[in-house]
Amino acid sequence: MTTSLIFAFIGLLVLVLILLLAKGHLTTHGDLQELAAQLRPVDVAAFCNLISESEQKFLYDRLPPSEFRTIHRERMLAAVDYVRGASRNAAILIRLGESARQHSDPAIRDTAQKLVDDGLRLRLFALQLVPRLYLSMAFPRLSPASDGIADTYDSMSRYVVTLGRLQFPTHEMSSAL
Amino acid sequence: MIFVSYYLWIAPRILLAIFLICLLRRKLQKQLPIFTVFVVFELIQFSALFAAFLQSPFPAAIYRWLLLVSQVISSILELAVIYELANELIFARSSLASVLRPVLRGILAILLLAAAIGSGFFRGISIYRLTNVLGVVDFSSNLIQAGMLLALFVFARVLRVSWRDWVPGVALGFGIAASIDLASAALRAAFGTDSIIAVDRTQMAAYHVCVVIWLVFLFRSETTPALPDVKLTLSDLEPWGEELQKMVRR
Repeated sequence: MTTSLIFAFIGLLVLVLILLLAKGHLTTHGDLQELAAQLRPVDVAAFCNLISESEQKFLYDRLPPSEFRTIHRERMLAAVDYVRGASRNAAILIRLGESARQHSDPAIRDTAQKLVDDGLRLRLFALQLVPRLYLSMAFPRLSPASDGIADTYDSMSRYVVTLGRLQFPTHEMSSAL
Repeated sequence: MIFVSYYLWIAPRILLAIFLICLLRRKLQKQLPIFTVFVVFELIQFSALFAAFLQSPFPAAIYRWLLLVSQVISSILELAVIYELANELIFARSSLASVLRPVLRGILAILLLAAAIGSGFFRGISIYRLTNVLGVVDFSSNLIQAGMLLALFVFARVLRVSWRDWVPGVALGFGIAASIDLASAALRAAFGTDSIIAVDRTQMAAYHVCVVIWLVFLFRSETTPALPDVKLTLSDLEPWGEELQKMVRR
């Protein structure tokens, strides 16, 4: 009886979760201007510096342990913030890529596909990296290093520029970057 | 109340037939071929059961066997449709396939284990062994379906990927029906034979909702083009350029 009621409760819980997730899935609209306004600047170089092993070792060698732990925690918190920002931007760029994938020009479709792939890869990286950063906060000797996220973010940004160039050759977006 | 039962048995199938006609007319069967086979099978199953039901005297044993066999085939087809939905959402994207395939396999293994354990509680629903087998098949397939569909919705949400056109409607319809069926199948095990009619009506109502959702999404995708609000224009791209300058600044 109890087990059956537990399964009944699980069924209802799954129903509620599916409805909530589907609602979120179906209401993620917004035009490009709105989406562009939601983009947050991410300084990739600063992020690389924060998770750099050599930088961490440099601080470890020169600072007293208690001070190192405090600084390391702050650095990791800042890195988490960067990763979350990059991940949020990736979600927006995936939307851009998905819309551009329907374009009639095969070159735009190809670039858009690469943009979507990179966006997804970055979100997967971010999912793995955030727990590692928190773990590193608790155990400073553990390195959270992940060059993948910075590289992917860079290449994703390049694809967006390429996308703009392909569609509007006179538009000088790339030179501004 | 008998009218409600007849309505819930017949009306969703009529709607399903309309859905199939619209699907074939718009040549959408190519997008989800296994789902199309499932819809066709559902209609054949209903026709066979309805024909048996109209026989006089009512062939109870034949009807039960027909129900059991078609239920097993239907459950297998439903799982195949979920695989097809996963393929549309995840496996078709090369960057996700290698990472998420093992995760989905793991979830499926856990759900199979949970279904095997849970099925042990469905031995004594009724005095008929066939009804008990039906209960086990019903519970197990619904548990696996509900779990897999929830996993797919979670992946779609976390990674912010989207299903196209009417496909999320298929997933949503299946998800609602599977989770209500799971809850009601578990309640049937808890309350025994007294609850069989109420549970059957609940499951039929869930199926009705599921078919209505499929129809709504199919008509919706007909009237609105995919991603209507994100068509690229020059004026749209300008703010992107500005934001990107900020985003990738060094």
